[in-house]
Amino acid sequence: MLHYYEPQKDFGTPAAQSAEQVSLTVDGVTLEVPAGTSVMRAAALVGVKVPKLCATDALQPFGSCRVCLVEIAGRRGFPASCTTPVEEGMQVQTQTPALAKLRRGVMELYISDHPLDCLTCATNGDCELQDTAGEVGLRNVRYGFDGANHLAASKDSSNPYFTFDPAKCIVCSRCVRACEETQGTFALTIEGRGFDSVVSAGGVDFIDSECVSCGACVDACPTATLTENSIIEQGIPEHTVTTTCAYCGVGCGFRAELRGNTVVRMTPWKDGKANEGHACVKGRFAFGYATHPDRVTTPMIRDSTDQPWRQVDWDEAVSFAAARFRQIQEQHGRNSIGAISSSRCTNEEVYLVQKLVRAGFGNNNIDTCARVCHSPTGYGLKTTLGESAGTQTFASVEQADVIIVMGANPTEAHPVFGSRLKKRLRQGARLIVIDPRKIELVDAPHIQADYHLPVNPGANVAVLNAMAHVIVSENLHDEAFIAQRCEASAFEDWRAFISDVSNSPEALAAASGVDAAELRAAARLYATAATGAIYYGLGVTEHSQGSTAVMAIANLAMLTGNLGREGVGVNPLRGQNNVQGACDMGSFPHELPGYRHLSDVTTRADFEQAWQVELDPEPGLRIPNMFDAAVDGDFRGLYIQGEDVAQSDPNTQHVEAALAALDCLVVQDIFLNETAKFAHVFLPGASFLEKDGTFTNAERRISRVRKVMPPMSGKADWEATQAFAQALGCSMDYAHPSQIMDEIASLTPTFSGVSYALLDEQGSVQWPCNDSAATGTSTMHVDSFVRGEGYFALTEYVPTEERANRRFPLLLTTGRILSQYNVGAQTRRTDNSTWHAEDVLEIHAHDAQERGLKDGDWAGIQSRVGSTVLRTRISDRVKPGVVYTTFHHPVSGANVVTTDNSDWATNCPEYKVTAVQASKVTEPSAWQSRQREFDHRQRQFLQQATVND
Amino acid sequence: MSAQQTERLVRMANQIALNFGEERDLTLAARRTGEHLQKFWTPAMREQLADYAAAGGEGLSPAVRELYSRS
Repeated sequence: MLHYYEPQKDFGTPAAQSAEQVSLTVDGVTLEVPAGTSVMRAAALVGVKVPKLCATDALQPFGSCRVCLVEIAGRRGFPASCTTPVEEGMQVQTQTPALAKLRRGVMELYISDHPLDCLTCATNGDCELQDTAGEVGLRNVRYGFDGANHLAASKDSSNPYFTFDPAKCIVCSRCVRACEETQGTFALTIEGRGFDSVVSAGGVDFIDSECVSCGACVDACPTATLTENSIIEQGIPEHTVTTTCAYCGVGCGFRAELRGNTVVRMTPWKDGKANEGHACVKGRFAFGYATHPDRVTTPMIRDSTDQPWRQVDWDEAVSFAAARFRQIQEQHGRNSIGAISSSRCTNEEVYLVQKLVRAGFGNNNIDTCARVCHSPTGYGLKTTLGESAGTQTFASVEQADVIIVMGANPTEAHPVFGSRLKKRLRQGARLIVIDPRKIELVDAPHIQADYHLPVNPGANVAVLNAMAHVIVSENLHDEAFIAQRCEASAFEDWRAFISDVSNSPEALAAASGVDAAELRAAARLYATAATGAIYYGLGVTEHSQGSTAVMAIANLAMLTGNLGREGVGVNPLRGQNNVQGACDMGSFPHELPGYRHLSDVTTRADFEQAWQVELDPEPGLRIPNMFDAAVDGDFRGLYIQGEDVAQSDPNTQHVEAALAALDCLVVQDIFLNETAKFAHVFLPGASFLEKDGTFTNAERRISRVRKVMPPMSGKADWEATQAFAQALGCSMDYAHPSQIMDEIASLTPTFSGVSYALLDEQGSVQWPCNDSAATGTSTMHVDSFVRGEGYFALTEYVPTEERANRRFPLLLTTGRILSQYNVGAQTRRTDNSTWHAEDVLEIHAHDAQERGLKDGDWAGIQSRVGSTVLRTRISDRVKPGVVYTTFHHPVSGANVVTTDNSDWATNCPEYKVTAVQASKVTEPSAWQSRQREFDHRQRQFLQQATVND
Repeated sequence: MSAQQTERLVRMANQIALNFGEERDLTLAARRTGEHLQKFWTPAMREQLADYAAAGGEGLSPAVRELYSRS
């Protein structure tokens, strides 16, 4: 799928959504298009390009540039083709002498105030202004270049990723409109009138403005006014490869645009169904980590972690690891080793790791990082609806009338979906935010949540139960849907439970922290919506009742009939790019690919026959079980692919003790991450740009990841796992990841129709994809639930054991920020650190004042398991009694403070609730001092390995 | 396995039983807790908890005690 570079096709105006067809002729060619289509788009559909500047099909028509004029039979004048809708029988001429003269005249005016530096311009050869000048036959500018102009306007280079050069601006407003319509931030405007009109980021530099660096303005700019710095420095691309973003669970399609093997730009793919041409600051700009000098590209081994690394070839590395693992099993038993896979890796890679464990290690000690994020989604949705997945497409939100966003912060953590959501809200959809923090959606430009329910950390189930109580007690539930679609006896049991006065908003107000009247009003709003959709994130799952909350959400959706059609549903927003895929691929210790329990004899037999081994029918260890067993000495060998548990998992000191206790830790990663500092074998990983495979996003969409450049270590990750397996004597002999997908499809009913050929043909598909749904399934549970009848689970509110008291009076909750991603291994190695160079403690002014803390002060944060030190930021986003931080920087030690309290059903850690005390301090915590020393020593070991080579 | 790990298993089992509604229906909660442990815990973890219950099971919740009194 390598293509010579050319800009993505632009039809000038967006597609019209109408069933009615209109017939017209354009330059003598007759065609039919949907009513509402612009003349410009109709022309483009038959291959006629009307010259244009202010129009692009990503934005609504604006009609300002006056270049796209056409002649229409029977009409006076020269209408703009972008703003003129087609009419039945219309006869359009796009090329006439009169039009040519008019267009040249307009272009003369533009070019009279534009630098004539095309040969040295960064976008030479990739500039719509240049193209249009050529198309209209501009040969001279009669006005000269000595008049008043903007050519001396100074550049704004404040943003690390793009430069704003107003001297080249034609004030077409595409950037301003992109910021409004596509991104929804409203950071840009046109200041001044007439000749003085200029694009402005609110009167300040871009970096100091409200700009979120999504790059939509850069994409929209038809000139070199807004240009990526990578293009300025390296030139325009010469070929492209279509692939999928490796950041969040939105899974945006991208065109990697390259010169040779160097990526010079990532452009959001207009045909990518998850993002439809939009991107965020991470996906579009933060790709430089892939070639960062910190990359470790040679395998390394050492006997113990107090020794320098020794660089070796691949064969020696995997042989060393395999010998150690077999030795451990001989001495300590078959179950003394295991593996952890990562949602950052492809479906094919995580499938191979679980196969290695089950078929090679001979046990089921395989777990994945979804353990610590969305494992409750898997449990909760499987129990209630029958499938461990979200129910909709992202585009479904465009049909939603009332939207609940709970425990999620889409504009920071899922920004491209956040923009889509904001667009729907600007169209008038109603919004309920349930979150301890006042997230951006509560009050954003042109958006105001109807209700913000500031739930106390740990009380989600109380709020959800109270909402259900209101709906049932006020007879707002959808009786017909429930009677037709749900298990009657379970519903009756649940109705009796939820109707109890103990579940009323008033009874639960003290626990939930939510005003009962507000909650009642919010519940009524959701229940009476024609289409009500729920979107939730880790603020729901990462609790001691994470699974209960997911089931309570599913109950609400079933109760109101909001499942099985467009605009509704239960939609988990997945944290990392391939959380859904990693779970689908059998990465949990109790189930095989396709969410089938190991005890299922038929399924196990299928895998046994395919793999030619006998499988252990019993569940293996979960990640926290592995750590406990390691500390006890029962678990001795661990293979970790692409996951940094020493930074991401809770109770860091316990995790470190477990890692330090292992006889052999094998880490496969692109950097020497925090976990790798405890390793005996380092297998260099490949970034998403260096391998083929697939990712599955939060809407079950399987998209191709395509190799853009050769793997820096010589092996893609699946090849490294295969080499390790072969060294262990486990049969694996794939020549390409497509063969792995073929095996997955042959063994997994929901994937049976998936192949690379189908993905290439369709662009992407949403599973289930099989004989019943040859091109995938956009909406789940349409006529019936996957489990047959929907199940109303009893969702009793059980307060967390992690409670504030006099010693630990504040509740700490953790989260993410727009510019950084998860543990920050990637984004910290890019200019994204411009916006978030360190994690800080957000604290309400009242709590800060009580403790003598001022903005910028060092705050010591102490929990029951550990302490760390962060800078203070006074914030009104948190209410009194609640503090907040992120965990993007290792030195912050956010997880030194979080406890190993976890979800009752899945052991997903309760990251969102930690009782702490904060106080003013003057020096780092003891753990931070130790971490700094340890980190320094391990970096020296790495440098010595390099020097000794 | 260590006493610390046993303590953790006890805590986890109690938490499971509580969330299966042991305060509403002890018998049902015990049955569901047993099914949950069978489905998600390793045999070694189950065995360790069973041994602990057989040795008196101090700190086990009523539903977990009920589970092991039946088996």
